[in-house]
Amino acid sequence: MGFFDKFRKGSETVLGSPVKGRCISIHEVPDPTFGEEILGKGVAFLPADGHVYAPADGTVSTVFPTGHAVGLTTADGAEILIHVGLDTVELKGEPFTLKVESGQAVKKGDLLLVADLDRIRSLGKETVTPMVICNSADFKQVETFDGKDTEPGDEVIKLHK
Amino acid sequence: MKQFTYTIQDELGIHARPAGLLTKEAAKFKSTVSVEDGGKKGDAKKIMSLMMLGAKKGHTITVTVEGEDEDAAASAIQTFLQENL
Repeated sequence: MGFFDKFRKGSETVLGSPVKGRCISIHEVPDPTFGEEILGKGVAFLPADGHVYAPADGTVSTVFPTGHAVGLTTADGAEILIHVGLDTVELKGEPFTLKVESGQAVKKGDLLLVADLDRIRSLGKETVTPMVICNSADFKQVETFDGKDTEPGDEVIKLHK
Repeated sequence: MKQFTYTIQDELGIHARPAGLLTKEAAKFKSTVSVEDGGKKGDAKKIMSLMMLGAKKGHTITVTVEGEDEDAAASAIQTFLQENL
């Protein structure tokens, strides 16, 4: 920590919050796929609204046709999965509106999708939204800043090469 | 080299959870494991690569395993697919 840290930004990738809400530890997610980091290290969010934004500049690697999850790859190769809700693949797209398509370049803060959180809850699913680094092993450290309320874009993960 | 095909039975195809679990299974072996679906090829050791295939129910995927432990790896992957997808 200190004065020289700001000169080392080049070797780090900073990811912003994709939502307005509360950022929690990935281990608090009641689904072992995320809680036990099977999909990678990261954080999760209790979203306050259903707008999901790009956490960094990058390219949309994959959008699930069901609209519940988006994969992004950043310029320096971080493969990020944002998964809105748990088991929401089973909802077959109904509460989700995708705003991007596969292969599209995005800037941090671009709207990726809109989820109807009340509808997800009324269909019996949790809205907790994990954001994980699928290729965590490619990074020396995945530093997380959970346990705080976030606005879209607030720093929540720092990746160290 | 070992190669086999498998037709996906799971209603939801290779979505996030099965992609993560398949990657975990493939990572147990030294062999390379690739999965091909309709001309798109993915690396079974990379979650995003698998998810990018967008493999759905009814798709027939071709799995290619190559390396010193390819027999064990191919049989483990085949069992995984039958049990999970």
